[in-house]
Amino acid sequence: MAYVFQDKTFDVIVCGAGHAGCEAALAAARMGASTLLLSGNIDTVAQMSCNPAIGGQAKGHIVREIDALGGEMAINTDATAIQFRLLNESKGPAVQSPRAQCDKKAYQFRMKHTLELQPNLQLFQATVTELVYEGTRVVGCRTNLDIDFRGRTVVITTGTFLRGLLHIGMNKNEGGRLGDYSARTLSASLLAAGIELRRLKTGTPPRISGRSIDFARMEEQKGDEHPTLFAFHDTHDPQALFHVEQVGQQRLGWVPGTDQVSCWMTHTTEQSAAIVRRNLHTSAMYSGQIEGVGPRYCPSIEDKFVRFADKPRHLLFLEPEGRHTDEYYINGLSTSMPFAVQLELVRSIPGLERAELLRPAYAVEYDFAPPTQLWPSLESRKVEGLFMAGQINGTSGYEEAAGQGVVAGINAVQKTRGGSPMVLGRHEAYIGVLIDDLVTKGTNEPYRMFTSRAEHRLLLNHGSAEMRLLPQIRKLNLLTPDRRQRIERKAERVGHWLTKLETTRHQGLMWGDHVRREADAPPVSLPAEFLAESPQVQAEVLYRIRYRGYLEREARVIERLSGLERVRIPLDLNYREVRGLRLECALKLAELRPATLGQASRISGVNPADISVLMVLIESGRAGDRPADPGTGT
Amino acid sequence: MPVAHEDTIAALATPSGESAIALIRVSGSESARLMAEIFGGPPLPRSSRHGDYRDREGRLVDDVLFTFFAQPASYTGEDTVEIGCHGNPYIAQRVLEDLFARGCRPAEPGEFTKRAFLNGRMDLSQAEAVMDLIHARSERALEAANRQLRGALGRQIAGAIARLVDVVAEVEAYIDFPEEDLPTANRIRLLAAVTALRQEAGRLLATAHYGALLRDGVRTVIVGEPNAGKSSLLNRLLGWERALVSPEPGTTRDFLEEPRVLGPHKIRFIDTAGLNPTPAPLERRGIERTLERAAEADLFLLVLDASLPCPILPPELAGRLHAANTVVVWNKTDLAAPGDLPDAWRGFSRVAVSALQGQGIEELERAISLMVDKEQLVLDGDLIAINARHATDLTEAGECLAAAEAKLRAGAADELMASDLRGALDALGRIGGRVDHEQILDKLFSAFCIGK
Repeated sequence: MAYVFQDKTFDVIVCGAGHAGCEAALAAARMGASTLLLSGNIDTVAQMSCNPAIGGQAKGHIVREIDALGGEMAINTDATAIQFRLLNESKGPAVQSPRAQCDKKAYQFRMKHTLELQPNLQLFQATVTELVYEGTRVVGCRTNLDIDFRGRTVVITTGTFLRGLLHIGMNKNEGGRLGDYSARTLSASLLAAGIELRRLKTGTPPRISGRSIDFARMEEQKGDEHPTLFAFHDTHDPQALFHVEQVGQQRLGWVPGTDQVSCWMTHTTEQSAAIVRRNLHTSAMYSGQIEGVGPRYCPSIEDKFVRFADKPRHLLFLEPEGRHTDEYYINGLSTSMPFAVQLELVRSIPGLERAELLRPAYAVEYDFAPPTQLWPSLESRKVEGLFMAGQINGTSGYEEAAGQGVVAGINAVQKTRGGSPMVLGRHEAYIGVLIDDLVTKGTNEPYRMFTSRAEHRLLLNHGSAEMRLLPQIRKLNLLTPDRRQRIERKAERVGHWLTKLETTRHQGLMWGDHVRREADAPPVSLPAEFLAESPQVQAEVLYRIRYRGYLEREARVIERLSGLERVRIPLDLNYREVRGLRLECALKLAELRPATLGQASRISGVNPADISVLMVLIESGRAGDRPADPGTGT
Repeated sequence: MPVAHEDTIAALATPSGESAIALIRVSGSESARLMAEIFGGPPLPRSSRHGDYRDREGRLVDDVLFTFFAQPASYTGEDTVEIGCHGNPYIAQRVLEDLFARGCRPAEPGEFTKRAFLNGRMDLSQAEAVMDLIHARSERALEAANRQLRGALGRQIAGAIARLVDVVAEVEAYIDFPEEDLPTANRIRLLAAVTALRQEAGRLLATAHYGALLRDGVRTVIVGEPNAGKSSLLNRLLGWERALVSPEPGTTRDFLEEPRVLGPHKIRFIDTAGLNPTPAPLERRGIERTLERAAEADLFLLVLDASLPCPILPPELAGRLHAANTVVVWNKTDLAAPGDLPDAWRGFSRVAVSALQGQGIEELERAISLMVDKEQLVLDGDLIAINARHATDLTEAGECLAAAEAKLRAGAADELMASDLRGALDALGRIGGRVDHEQILDKLFSAFCIGK
């Protein structure tokens, strides 16, 4: 056996330091577990391989949930963002979502610094080549440096690096990202353990030099005057916010959202469309070079011109990559055309007539492990102790990856301690919707979160993330006592004012009724003591009062369904032998092995009569009296 | 383990059809609240009480016997109410519809038994029998439902769901892709689509009544002054001497009911005591009962004596008669020619008959059939008549769509309108198949060029 790193067995080894890996490692270490974070290149931790932005619809909600669970993404974004915008500001709070342009390098540096300073966490540079198993358990990993690592649990977050293949027209290069290596051998190690792998594809647009852009021909998009931040600064320790550019021992205070930079809007032209159509046969995607499935919500420019041929122009956004670089990202121009075509295409766009490309656009194909092979804890059903998070589970997006990272990190620690895993409900968090969709339905394209995927969307407003997750925070002791108490105090104030405003009369009506009528009645000024509360408390109270009817309706639906969520299905249930189950349904259930009746009921093709049959069988106890399995949570 | 937090369910516990009494069972945590709402409170557990069953609008449905069983000492192990009403399918149906309107859910086949089993009220050895029962019964129910769903109703619902998915996808696109270059919000077009869907739900819902008529028969009440020949007409329509007849006015003191099949319909003819403006005490009781029957009528045959001037009807009755539910029958045309109808009855269909000699009876039968047929909805050449379960879901869909319409008009928040639209989609999905959010996203991505 090769040298074993420090002759030590870590509680949790995290392989990969992207957005999922960083959060997994921090979550595990913050719970007190001895944690190792391995990356092929620690200069590129938390890299934004695609656009330089965090948040947006549903994604912004996930970032706030990450903050509530003690993760880093929110605060790292606040500290390094160069523009803030609240999306859907004209709509209600439930679907408003913060979004920020980040300084890419600053984001990475601050994250690396945070990892370095985190107690219980070791960062090390090495590329994982294979996993080491004992029977059906993972016990560590090997690296390209002939150094082995021993761990009780392993979290793998490979991103696009697993047999990553980059396409620019007919040109192909191995790599997880332009200029980076590819994890070539790890796939074989997963296949050897019986884990199925498939291919997905994603793409990224060209980057151009700012000095070559004619901004006068574009429309400016400024940040919000009053930025909406991601982290719950009202409950954080003010010390947590430090600016990465301040070196030395002293962490200086800084006001996020000051000195914002602009994005710029332009659009494609008829000439652009003609260039794409003329060269379609040279596109890697349209010439059959790519077998992986790409995301429909992030179509390449080829797709846009082919599938929506009648649309005369497509919007493009130029996003700055940072304060200390002149590089710009062309949002909306993802393509896998050859470089020469890309250059012609870019120069057909108003304001980019003389653009100089710094990096070409490319498509990347990579392996993912269909996530129906996971328990809701994100632990593999095939290999005990092996957790997966991020793009390896078929998702797309920094936020989706980071959310899974937090859950995988927490659950890896719970595994080593024999505790039950954290499984978030669909009504508790977008992260809960995300993981439930992944493990019960799987995905055929890179999965992105949308608010429309959450049937209880109105309960998941971004402002309530901390209060929604308070039970999990308490149960798993996720935050410092100070912050937890601040959240509890906030929840208490919200509860107090909800009761008070709904039960106190003012000018013949309850205060709550005044609030609900404010759209078609002159505004009343709320009690001075209420206006003295923090803006966060006020906003949450007013949201819950205004939307009360809807929130109550959601709560009733959840109450009705919660019975099914509590009934666990035994792990070893032989569906084929269950009398009364239709064969089609039995096969589907045998494949997906839902952990609870609630999960089973969300599988397409399973009808209420099948659930009744299962319920009777389970309740009768004849299905076996196995102890709780690792995946059922609750 | 008691299965808590289930909804409260209700269903007929006795076989449907006519019988001495019908028993309706309600089980679940809301049972006691419903008792308080309907009867003003439950009786002592396991004892019965007599009371009026009034629907949510306060209309008397029947006088019933109700029994409360507190959990766990009930058939299902939950709070349970058993309501015994008169064994008339129409009454039982109205009680059930009212219970659904008050928040009960129609019980699944075998669901009471299943709950009993899950709450430990049945022996474990019965598990297999329960499973077989649930399976067999749900298969039969499924079969029955599928037959209907393969037909016109299924096509209607599938079409409505597809159009609703289009609307939802468009609304969701604006919510989930706020920065995208989408066509200008066309609220007017969306509003028209939602209105059309709401009206369609309404039209389908209207056939719920026709469905009940098909199953339970059309309550056709024969009314008129004493000695107008109501009982003779009944006998003529039935083809046998069901009622005693005499030249004496007021021979019929109570009401008589007798069914007969007329074409595709089952007609329940109800003969009543004559409406004497100056009744004797005994007659007065008979007239009260006539008015009670009139309150439940689907159809009226207003019998007039052609040889006499038109009578003045009691206002309680006159108010119920209108052109869509009343046939004016001029009787005794063997004695005199019919005169003019008062203004209030202009436009009513009228038939001249001689109950004694049989003239005009066929024409009267055609008039009755025509009137009943007007209740039905013919779509795609098939007849649609929905059942109570579908009616519950369609009502909910209609309410949700109406709420979405109001928000579209008022320009209210899109996500609230989306919540209403999703509610409608869920309700229609319970009839025609569940719609997953993936289907909405499929639609969204195929219809809109979004994403960067």
